[in-house]
Formats: sequence, structure tokens, C-alpha cells
Amino acid sequence: MTEIGPVTCAGCALVCDDVLIEHSGDDVRLQPRCDLGERWFSERVRRERAPGAMIEGRPVDVDAALARAAELLRGARRPLVHGFDDATVEDARAAVALADRLGALVATEGLGGTWPGAAAVALRGASTATLGEIRDRSRVVVIWREDPETTHPRLLDRLGFGDRSNSRLGADRTLVVVDDRDTATAGRADLHLRWPRERDLEALTGLHVLQRKLPLRTGDPGSELDGLLERIDAVPHVAFVHGPALTVGEGGQRRALALHELVRALSHDRHVVTLALPSAAGTRSSQDVLAWQTGYAENVDLASGHPELVAARELIDEGVDVSLCIEGDSHELGEGVRQIALGSRPMERVEVSIRTAAAGVAAAGTAHRLDGVPLALQAPLPGDAPTAAVLLARLLEELAG
Amino acid sequence: MTAIRITGGAIHDPANEVDGDVRDLCLQDGKVVADVGPEARRIDARGMVVMPGGVDIHAHIAGPKVNAARRLSPDDRRHDPLDRTEVLRSGTGGLVPSTFATGYRYSLLGYTTVVEAAAPPLAARHVLAELRDTPMIDKAFLILMGNNQVLFELIRESGGAVSSRLCDAIAWWLEATGGFGVKLVNPGGVELWKQSNGHVDSIDDHIAGFEVTPRQVLEAIGGAVDELGLPHPVHIHANNLGETGNADTTLETMRTLSGRQAHFAHLQFHCYGGKPGGQPRSRAPELLEHLSAHPEITADVGQVMFGPAMTMTADAHVSELLRDLTRGKWINHDTEVETGCGIVPYTYRSGNYVHALQWGIGLELFLLGKDPWQVMLSTDHPNGGSFLSYPKLIRLLMDRAFREDQMGRANQKAIRRTALADGLDREYTLNEIAIISRAAPARRLGLRDKGHLGIGADADVTIYHDRPDREEMFSTPRYVIKAGELAVEDGDLRRADDGVLLSGAAAFDPDVTGVLAPLFGERYTVAFEHYPVHDTALREPARIVEAST
Repeated sequence: MTEIGPVTCAGCALVCDDVLIEHSGDDVRLQPRCDLGERWFSERVRRERAPGAMIEGRPVDVDAALARAAELLRGARRPLVHGFDDATVEDARAAVALADRLGALVATEGLGGTWPGAAAVALRGASTATLGEIRDRSRVVVIWREDPETTHPRLLDRLGFGDRSNSRLGADRTLVVVDDRDTATAGRADLHLRWPRERDLEALTGLHVLQRKLPLRTGDPGSELDGLLERIDAVPHVAFVHGPALTVGEGGQRRALALHELVRALSHDRHVVTLALPSAAGTRSSQDVLAWQTGYAENVDLASGHPELVAARELIDEGVDVSLCIEGDSHELGEGVRQIALGSRPMERVEVSIRTAAAGVAAAGTAHRLDGVPLALQAPLPGDAPTAAVLLARLLEELAG
Repeated sequence: MTAIRITGGAIHDPANEVDGDVRDLCLQDGKVVADVGPEARRIDARGMVVMPGGVDIHAHIAGPKVNAARRLSPDDRRHDPLDRTEVLRSGTGGLVPSTFATGYRYSLLGYTTVVEAAAPPLAARHVLAELRDTPMIDKAFLILMGNNQVLFELIRESGGAVSSRLCDAIAWWLEATGGFGVKLVNPGGVELWKQSNGHVDSIDDHIAGFEVTPRQVLEAIGGAVDELGLPHPVHIHANNLGETGNADTTLETMRTLSGRQAHFAHLQFHCYGGKPGGQPRSRAPELLEHLSAHPEITADVGQVMFGPAMTMTADAHVSELLRDLTRGKWINHDTEVETGCGIVPYTYRSGNYVHALQWGIGLELFLLGKDPWQVMLSTDHPNGGSFLSYPKLIRLLMDRAFREDQMGRANQKAIRRTALADGLDREYTLNEIAIISRAAPARRLGLRDKGHLGIGADADVTIYHDRPDREEMFSTPRYVIKAGELAVEDGDLRRADDGVLLSGAAAFDPDVTGVLAPLFGERYTVAFEHYPVHDTALREPARIVEAST
């Protein structure tokens, strides 16, 4: 085993940059231990043996695949650029540049609409903080229906709940989990409040009403949630951790809005912040890039010659004929949609695929951590594939020529 | 590179004591030169005004705070799209334009250099990437250091004195981030806000947990920047911004830095008399008097313009106050170890007493100030209004009749409480406009190649039609030349160049990393070895402006 590091792991949106890698063949071990990170590295090491490029399932050289991709994009009436789960800032900058040239639709939030919570921010705003602020200041941390032990395995440690001495506050802190499931995260909580998902909105608005000392119209989530409000009232600094489990699906934006309204109301008497948990490292990076290059995050339509903010589902229902997936999972798209994929993940159902060097494994780059902190990704392991950013720049050149 | 001869224009180059002289100006290889050959392109500037390219010493154009404001306000941009062209990227405008739109619009306004005035060092990679996507202009950013816990530790160790260790740490931070200079925002106060919504009343308050005071932070970091000889002195957003009676704090801050070079940002927001909680009044004349007696201090105004604005600041406590005032959208973001951030959309209304007073105080600073080299043009974009309102502000300064008309539309009780009511008849000259919008900011930034048109200066030139309507004149330059190339002609962008990053630098003892590393380890969630930005794709092309010592 060869030990390398510390390096930055882009295996989830936490983007830990203190990781030591032990590497032998396909086998990758990380210190501190992280099963998710190890799987992520190992899968990408194995992918290094996959063909560099394929057209309709047949291996070809990269130049031929690029030429076919350019041909498809040149002839596209309604191109879609999407994916971005593993995209770096550099990839996203190149992707939006190409999308601008093509007049394409750009979707960064996943075609399944997995992360619609951000729309609530545009309505009312949010109070947020970086990990270190929460670790060193929040006496109460409330995790609302997420299971970061599974999705972001080192989050609790990085928020000071692993070895409690790693918070400047010491052990005098409370980890609260609101969830009706027995998750790994709930198992580590000081207080596990069982609350059904379908009553999340009731809980958040009810706590807000109680905080304002107004009469409740129905029920009493304050007492049912075992004095959560009193616990919050007793400390000067509180954090709420939330994610797709709160915001996904029908009513997701309303629930996200209710959380931010509650936080805003609580903020009058103490410092309260939130931390959102997108699952993929590329989500925050690509949305930040899209926001600064176009003025809008999430999903943007460039067909009219300038950026227009659109909702995710509209994108694929409106006559997309060619899709370009960048560092993401390929999706079932409408019949007749011709698909191109540039990425380090396995790619199925696509006409043209080009394997890229995984950022953080075989290529350097930049990732924005889930709290917005930008971090350098290194290239600790060998690889000879180009990055998505390089391929996109070549495509742009080809299309401009 | 192109050679250009600009003929017949009235040249306003106050740094070289040229005031409207009609003569040729020659440009070659990106610089002002004495002469060019007959093959040079000729630009006929007869009847036009020729100035150095504009230099904005204080604006907010890039980084996580600006980007958060974009995400907060999609509705502000829907009405203001920019179409892509063969050479230009698409984008959106509004109060917080997308990056490409920001670069294009500054260029269309005749500005060629802009300073992002408040960047968290931890976010340097993000700031640099946005600036890379901000074309046409040269750009720099100031790094936020007034609430940095690591520096607090060093200041506590030195008992508040300037120490070589502190100087080394500041120089290291600039090198690590590519920053140009040092910004202090509400020193100590942001840390208290992040602890539990606290704030600073006086600069002698103790910053809980650190055994230092805002005064010590000002003295130590201000002194260190002075001692390092950085191109730009410490850039200060004083404590108690926007609060009634804050002029006392501002004056005390100025006295604390007495004898040291310092630049005070958006002074208008720090000029208020009255009792805390009561109605504010203007104390601008008193502050100007202090400035007059202290040439080592400069300021930009932070003029508010009636209409919509987007307040965005590292001084998140102020945003809390605005949140409660407006009950509208609000973003708060706390950055570990270093700083905070608050964003609130806001509208300045001419009929509102406080807003009209702020407007009047800004104009007082411009019109009562004796030395235009000391008081520079800014709206603290987009806090007091968009940079696109600069032409209107220039008209307010140059056109007394227009000013009086605008005064007549504002809250009269507020106007009566300013010197504007005394019939201020001053009208800025073109040379004075050239001073406050390019020569003085460039000089204060230590940019010796900018803000003037002497031999060897950067060939950043703006040429205006000499129109009686100064707002119209300054809104649409006839030509803008950037780095010796024609960038704008008659309101159209002709090219989309990148511009360079301007970084400040001073020598430091590399062993300072041995002091900083353990402090980082205790406080940051980012590894010390990964903190510095080395990526050439982000940091180049750049011009490093070295310290003068």
C-alpha cells in the first residue's frame, strides 16, 4: 500500500480535504475511515480500465467521439446540458460556456428534481454558516430528517460530534435528530424526536407560531417535539441541518420556506444558522458557477440568446433532442433523444461517451463544499484521460470553428 | 498590438496637471507613449473629452456574497437580459449583474479597473474564479481581516502592538489568496455578531474570548499594513455603520489611526450625529474638517441614489437591522474564523427622512470637501445604488440646477438639516470628476500605471462627447480603450478581453507558516496546506504590485 495525502475527497458534498489515501491496485483505503469515500475512489480507479471513448457501445478514439458529439450538438434543435454530480468548477465553467454558444437548456439540480430547496432561498433568503462556525458555536444542532451517517459519513465528526473535544465548546452540546426512522444518525443523537414526514410542515409552522407566542390552531408540535423550542431558547447559537428529505417532492419548496421562516424568527433572540446537504460534490460547484455566469442558479434556458430561469421538469418535456451529460448519471430521457456523456461514471444508454479523469482522483480541480467553501482537488492517483473541462473546451472550439 | 493616435481631444489628466489641453495622445503596446508612427490608427476626438479609464476603488462585484445576492434576487434580473453575440457571452443585469455583464457594463461606462472591496480569504478560489469570468476590466480584491481569529491571537500576543509576526501573517495571507489589500469591516463586531448576535458599542469594547478590542485591531492591523508598505493602505469600514451618532466612532477610529495611511470606505454611512435610537443628523462637515487636517486619510463616499439597491456587507449585524426594517428577503452567512455576510434588498426613497439625509450627506462630502484627491466617488455598489448610477451622480456634482431640482423632490426636513439647504453653489469641473473617478482612486490604490495619461501609463483611456447633459455624456462614452485596444465604440463592445488580476505583495518570513499552521488546525475546517491558491489558471494573467519598503 502506498500512502498519499492529505488530499481532498470529492466522494460526497462534504469534500473532506484531510484525507490520507492508501492505494494498492483497485483497493483504496482512506484515513479517517469513510466507506462512502473508499467506494467512490475505488470505483473511479476501476473505471480507468474502461475504454476512453465509445460510439454506440463500440470503443473509438477520443477524437472520433468528439467529432460525433460536435456533429450531434451542431444539429441539435433543443440541446440539454445536465448532470454535474461530479463536476468541478472548471467543468461547470466550460459547460455553461458551451451551453451559451449552443443556446441550450442547463439543468444542475438533477432531472429528477432532487434538490428543489434552493428555490425557497430566492423567496425569503436563508441564514447559513460554514462547518467550522457550527462546530465551534452551535450548542444545539438539529438534523431534520437527514441521515448524514449514510450520505455524508464524516459530517457529525466535522461538526464536532465525533470526538467531542474537537469542538471548541467541548462536550456541552446537544445533537437532536427529527426523524421517525431508526437511522444511523438517529442512533448517535442525544435526543431522537420521532416525527412523521407528512407532518413536517405542521411541525415547522407550529414551532414558528409557538415562537411568536401565538395560539396554535391545531395540535401542539412544541410539546410533541419534546420541548425542542425550550432547548433552542436556552442557548445562544443553534444550527439546523436539512436536505432533500425535507425538500424533495410535492410541497418541498413550502417546507423549505417554513424552515427558513422558523430560523428567521428564532434569530431575533439568538444566532441561528442552517446547513443544507446536497448529496453530490458537484451540485454546489455547478450551481455557483451557473449563478455567476448567468445570474440564475439551478436550471437555465439559454435558447432565447440570454439566460432565463426555468423549472427542472420543463426542461425534458419540451422537445429536447440531444442531451449532453457532464460528470453525472445518464437518465432515461424521451424517445429519440440522442445522448452524449462526458464523465468518470459508468455511462449507459448513450450514443457517444467519453471517459474523463475523475477530479480528485486523476485530475486536479476545484470543488465548492456544501457550505460554499471552495477547495482544491488534487490528482493523487495516475490516469491518462482528459477532464470534462478540456473536452468541453475542445467541443466549443469545434462548434465555433 | 495596435498603435493609436487620439487627435484633437481635450485631455483631462489631473495627475499630470493637464486640465483640458487640446493635444494628441499616443498609445502603443498597451502603454501611453510619446509618439507613434504614421501607420497608427487615428481617432478623431475633436470636441471630445479624453480621460484615463475609470477606477472604482470600492465596489462589490465578485465572490460568495455577490453570488448569494444573485441567487436571492432572480426577479431583479428577468427584465434586464443581455444577449450573446459572436464575441460576447450572454448574461443578466439588474443590481447584481452576472459576471460577464458586470465586466461589459463597467467597460461601457468607461471604467477599466475595479476593486472588489470585501472578500473572505477562505473564499479566494471562488472570488478569483468569478473575477476570471469578469471580462474587460482589470480587477483586484481586498481580503477581510478585521474579525480574523488567528490575527486576534497574534494581536493579543503582542498586547495590541504591531509585531513582525503580524506583518508576516498579513503578507502571507495576501500571497496565499492573490488579494490586493487589507479590509477591516466592523473590527471585532462581526465576531460578536457570529457568537450570539452581539455588537460593538465602542471601539474599546472587549471582543469576548479574545482579550482584544476593536481599537487594538485597528492599531495593529492598520499599523502592520502601513509598516509593510502595501500599495493600498488599510481600507476601513468602521464600527457602527448606519447607526445614529456613529460619527463619534468614526472620528475616534480616525484618531486611532492618526499618522498612518488609511482609507475609509463609504464615509457617508459613518457621518451621522444624534442620539442612538433617535433621528440622525449630518456631521459630515466635522468629518471633512478632520480629513482636511489629516492628509494621510482618504475616503470614498458611498453615495446613496434614490431607487432600488442591494445591501451586501460583511457587517452582518447591519443586515439584521435592515431585515427587521424591511421585513423582506435576508441572507446571513457566517464564514469560520474570518468574517460574516449579510444581504438585504433595499430601496432608498426620496420622501423618507433618513434616506434623503443620507443622500444629502453624500453630496455634502463631495461638495464641502476641500480636496477632491481625498474624497472619491463610489456608491458602494450595489449598497447605495448600482455603479450604473455614476453618470447621474456626476451630473448631481456638475450641474447645480439639476441638483437643486433633485433636492426639491427629496424630504425637505432632511435637506434643511444639511449644508445643501445653504445654497451650495459648487459645481465640479471635468478635472475634478477625473480626480474623484480615476486619478485619486488609482493613486490611493498605489497603481502607478493607472489613473493618468503620462508616458508609460497603461493605455486605458475613455473618450466622451462633451455634452451639456453630463449624465448622458458619462453614460455613453464615444470610445473606451483598454490596454491599448479599442474596446467600446459608440456604445458597442468591440471585443471581450480578460483584463488582469492585480495582486498586492510584501516580503515575509516564510517561517510564519510554523506559527499559523497550528492556529489553523485549531480553528479552520480546511487543511492549512490546502488553503493557499496556487492555480495559475486562477491567478494569471496578473500584475503583482509590490510593497514600497
